[in-house]
Amino acid sequence: MIKKTFSVPDMHCSNCSMKLESIEDDLPGVKGINASYHKQQMVVEFDEKQVSDEQIIAAAKKKGYQAVLA
Amino acid sequence: MSKKQKSTIDPVVIIMFGVVFLAISFALLLFQSQENNGITIASSSGAWGQIVVAFVTGITTGGLSCLAVQGGLLASSLAHQIEQDYLVNMPQTHKRKRGEAGRQVAAPRTSSALPIFLFLAAKLVTYTLLGALLGWLGSYLSLSPTTRAMLMIAIGIFMVGNALRMFNVHPIFRYFSIEPPKFITRYIRKTAKGTDTATPLLLGALTVFIPCGVTQAMMATALGTGNAAQGAALMFAFILGTSPVFFIVAYLATELGARLEKFFMRFVAVVVLVLGFVTLNGGLNVLGSPFSFNNLTSGLLPSSSSLSSSDASSVQAAAPDGQLILRVQSSGYFPRTLKAPANKFLILNLITNQTYSCARDFVIPALNYYQLLAATGTAQVTIPPQAAGTKLFFTCSMGMYTGQIIFE
Repeated sequence: MIKKTFSVPDMHCSNCSMKLESIEDDLPGVKGINASYHKQQMVVEFDEKQVSDEQIIAAAKKKGYQAVLA
Repeated sequence: MSKKQKSTIDPVVIIMFGVVFLAISFALLLFQSQENNGITIASSSGAWGQIVVAFVTGITTGGLSCLAVQGGLLASSLAHQIEQDYLVNMPQTHKRKRGEAGRQVAAPRTSSALPIFLFLAAKLVTYTLLGALLGWLGSYLSLSPTTRAMLMIAIGIFMVGNALRMFNVHPIFRYFSIEPPKFITRYIRKTAKGTDTATPLLLGALTVFIPCGVTQAMMATALGTGNAAQGAALMFAFILGTSPVFFIVAYLATELGARLEKFFMRFVAVVVLVLGFVTLNGGLNVLGSPFSFNNLTSGLLPSSSSLSSSDASSVQAAAPDGQLILRVQSSGYFPRTLKAPANKFLILNLITNQTYSCARDFVIPALNYYQLLAATGTAQVTIPPQAAGTKLFFTCSMGMYTGQIIFE
């Protein structure tokens, strides 16, 4: 398991963090997500054997956000 | 995103639009009666007037403010969730789950209207209970004008900060958005995954943890009633008023997508900014600050600010015996500017005649004087000697109606 921080500059409200955190339910291999609207970022704890950075970025894009590895 | 196939109009939508229409008609009728007959809405009692004001506040500003200041936009979240569920459940677009898709054909989701309706119903019940609790708590404590002023100023700053956050003025304003604790958001998220009727009901009830600025102001008013039944009725009327706007925006956000939501958010930001300044200004008035908009402009334009007075003279001087007369009407204080001799004890006569607005809650902040006047009658206030040049501001407890006594 590793932890990586992704910058999400287009979060516009606290609800965005809730939406981004729901990725942990959609992507197998993601253990937990801590998203913060205040910091405009999300910290993702995941198993890199099961899921890649690109997949996480793609999942965020599906939710309507542009995530970039910080 | 894929286009949705609209089949028939959901009956819940028709009912909701009916409710919206009735609510708007009710509000318009009230405004008309105010214009024609003075404030007659509260002729039966002051409490009823307060409830009507709460409803009108809800229908005019509360719904938008709720959507904006809750930050999380729970209703919108629900709407998005419903949209996602809707799309996932559509067999035409997602054929992966063959068995399940077949089942969905038999019982497709018809619209997002029913969950939003349930969400709002739960919100209404929860806030009514909260109103009862606040009213009950209020019977044990009373808000002094200063406390109320500080509360209004804090709420005003909160609202202005939120509006600036929505305009994305500076990252610092993001901190005006309250992020609920993670365990609550996680719980809400897990709950939102359900598609049964209990989900929107529970989500609606959970909004009680993230009230908006106007709701918080209304909560403070409910606290001020000092009566459980009155507090409950006040919150019920307010949330009922907010529901149509809340419903329309949430429904449109679901049906028409995020682009429209962004447009609405801009509009909401403007409204919240204006409301924030109005609340802030009201707080400054109740505090007796010379820097409130009313007091600044009355200082600059003393005569024009009093032109609405029905008195022959807009500025009234004290009688030789030191008696001052102020007419307290539903539409404010007349005359707005009184002139009085300095260094002399004075008697201020407050005359009410079927006065039912908040003008009855008379406050002189500098003297720490607060009195709920009788709807009809005369109350006297003894004013201690004041130095020449002093301006003594008076206001209603909401900071809406103001005036001043100038000592010379």
